Amino acid sequence: MTVAAVVPIDFWRQRFADFLAQRHESAASRHARQAAFERFEALGWPTRHQEAWRFTDLSGLNGWTLQAATDAPVDADALPTLETAHHRMVFVNGRFAPGLSQGNLLPAGATMTSFSQNPLPNPSPAGAAALEQHPFAALNGAFWEDGALIHLPRGLVLDTPIQVIFYATGGDMAVYPRLSVVLEDGAQASVVVEYRGQGRYFNAPVAELQLGQGATLTYHQIQQESAQAFHLGAIQLQQGRDSQTQMHLMSFGGQLARTDIETLLDGEHAQCLLNGLTIGRENQAGNYYVRVNHAHPHGSSQQSFKSVLDDKARAVFDGMIHVRPHAQKTDARQSSRNLLLSKQAVIHSNPRLEILADDVKCGHGSTTGFLDPNAEFYLRARGIPAAQARAMLVYAFANDSLNAMTLTPLRERLTRLLADRLALDGSMIEALIP
Amino acid sequence: MLEIHNLHATVEGREILNGIDLHIRPGEVHAIMGPNGSGKSTLANVIAGREGYVVTEGSITFDGKNLLEMEPETRACEGLFLAFQYPVEIPGVANLYFLKAAVNAVRKYRGEPPVDAMDFWDLVHERMELVKMDESMLKRSVNEGFSGGEKKRNEVFQMAVLQPRFAVLDETDSGLDIDALRVVADGVNALRGPERGFLVITHYQRLLDYIVPDHVHVLVNGRIARSGGKELALELEEQGYALYNEEPGRARRAAA
Repeated sequence: MTVAAVVPIDFWRQRFADFLAQRHESAASRHARQAAFERFEALGWPTRHQEAWRFTDLSGLNGWTLQAATDAPVDADALPTLETAHHRMVFVNGRFAPGLSQGNLLPAGATMTSFSQNPLPNPSPAGAAALEQHPFAALNGAFWEDGALIHLPRGLVLDTPIQVIFYATGGDMAVYPRLSVVLEDGAQASVVVEYRGQGRYFNAPVAELQLGQGATLTYHQIQQESAQAFHLGAIQLQQGRDSQTQMHLMSFGGQLARTDIETLLDGEHAQCLLNGLTIGRENQAGNYYVRVNHAHPHGSSQQSFKSVLDDKARAVFDGMIHVRPHAQKTDARQSSRNLLLSKQAVIHSNPRLEILADDVKCGHGSTTGFLDPNAEFYLRARGIPAAQARAMLVYAFANDSLNAMTLTPLRERLTRLLADRLALDGSMIEALIP
Repeated sequence: MLEIHNLHATVEGREILNGIDLHIRPGEVHAIMGPNGSGKSTLANVIAGREGYVVTEGSITFDGKNLLEMEPETRACEGLFLAFQYPVEIPGVANLYFLKAAVNAVRKYRGEPPVDAMDFWDLVHERMELVKMDESMLKRSVNEGFSGGEKKRNEVFQMAVLQPRFAVLDETDSGLDIDALRVVADGVNALRGPERGFLVITHYQRLLDYIVPDHVHVLVNGRIARSGGKELALELEEQGYALYNEEPGRARRAAA
C-alpha cells in the first residue's frame, strides 16, 4: 500500500510557524493554538492502521499543497438561499464575508456574530474537549481564523432559522471554519449550516453546540462540498436537563466527507435525534462516526442513518451508544439502513453498544440491500418506465430522512436536489409519501 | 386479442411451459385451472414480461403486436394488466399517487396529457366503492401492512382505475374469505365488456361461481390438457386433477 503518512508532521510545523507569525493576537489565544497544535502532533496524521480511521482513505490528498487560506471573491448567486431565514452569515475560506451576510435586528440579549467581530473576548477556540482524540479538530484549534457565534439568552425563542454558509474557493486551500451555538436555559433556535465550494480544497470544520436546561435546537448540516473536496468535520453536542436536539445531517457532496459527532446528554430527560442521509456516487466516500453518551437517567436518543450508494461510492456508519452506570431508564435507539445501487458500492456499518446501567432500553439494527427486483417489476407492470421505477424506489427509501426535517423550504430544496440527482420525473414526485 | 401459439418457457433452465395454445377474443373470459406446479403462474409472468422467464419457442401476440418483444411497462401501456398473486409492498410510495403515476405513464405513452386531478379523484372514488376499499388505504404505502385480502382488493382496484384492455388475474382468489372473494369478483364483473378480455388463473373452482367464464382450460405439466365451457370447472371440482396426473415424469417427481 502506498498510503503512507500523506502529510508529514514537519510540513504542519512549518505551516503553523508561518501562521502564528502572521497573527496578532493575545497570549492566551496563542497559547490555546499552541496547545491544540501539540495535541495534533501527539495524535499525528491519521492512518488506516488506527481503528477509528481504518475505513477513511485519505490517500486522495497525496500531492495536495494545502495552501493557507486567503480571501477570495464569491458571487452571491453561488450561495444557497433559504427564504424564511432572516439571519445569514457567510464565511469564505473560513473568513467572515460581511458583504454576503445579512443580519436583522435580533432580540435583546441575543448574539449572532462572527468571532472576529465579536466585541467580547473570544471563547477558548479549542474548547471542544470531547473531540480531543480527533486530529482534525486539533488542526482546527490550531489554525482556525473565524466562525459563527450564536448565543441565545435564557428563554429566548427565535422563530426564524439562522443560516450559516461556509464556502471554499479551491486552489488546494486548507480551511478551518468554526461554529459555536450556545442556547441558554429554555432558549430555542433552528440553525442551518451549509457547506459549499468549488474546486479542490480541504475543509476541517468544528461545531460546538451547547444546550442549557430545557433548550431546543434544530440543527441542519447540509454538506454539498465540491466534487473534489475533502471534508473532515467534527461536531460536539452537549445537552442539559430536559433539552432537545434534532440534528439533520444531509450529505451529498465531496470526494471524501467525514463527520465525527460526540454527543453528551448531560442532564436527566435530555433527548436527541440524529437523522443522517448520505447520497454517494462515482468515487465519493461519506463517513459518519457517532458517539452518543448517556450520562444521566431518563435520557433518550435516536440515531437514524441511511445511505444510498451508486457506482463505486463508499460509506461508513460507525455509531456508538454509551450508557454510563447511573443513566438508568435510558431509551437509546440506533438504526443504519443502506441501499446499494451497484455491486461496486461499499458500506461499512458498525453499530456498537456500551451499556453500564442495568435498567435501560437500547436497540440497534443495521440493514444493507439492493433494490428489490420484485418492487421494480411491480411498478413496471403498471406502466412506469424502468429508470423511473428505480428512481422512485430509491427516492422512497431516502424520503423519510428528508421528511423528518420540519423546515419546509429546506426540505423542499433537498427534495428537488434528490429528485434531480435520481433523474426522477417531476410527475412521479407526488407519488412519494410526504 | 391475445394469441398464444406453441409457447415454451423455462425458468432457471427448467422447462415449465411445453407448448401452450390459447386464443382469447375481446369480451371473453377464459379460466385456466390446474394443479400446483402445472405452470399457471409461469404463464401469467411470461405474459407480463417478468425477468427470468425465458421463452424458448412459440409466440404471444396482443392485438397483432409481438408481445414478447415489449418491455413490461410497454405491455402495460398497450393495455395489459397483471393482478399479482403476491402483490409487492413498496414502502414510501403512496398507493394513490403511485396509481396516478401509472395512469399518467400510460397516457404519456398514448400521447395524451396528464390526467386532470379532479377527473382522477372522481374515478378513484367511484372505483373504490366498487371494491369496497377504505379511503385510508389510498394514503398508505403501496400494499404495506395490508392484509392478504386488502392486497388482492388493491389489485382489483388498480385494475379498475387503469382500465386495461386485457387483464390476467393470477390466483387472485387465493387466501380470500367468501366476502372478499365476492368483492373481488364484483370488481371484475363490473369491468367485463365487449372490448375487454380476461384470463383468470385459479386453483379452485370456487372463484368461477362468481366470475363465470366463457371458456375453461386445464393446464397440466405446462400444456393445456383439456378445454371446455364453464361446466368443465364443475367437473374438476368433483373429480379433482387426479385424472390428469398420469404423466410419468410428474409421477416420478411426486414420488421423489
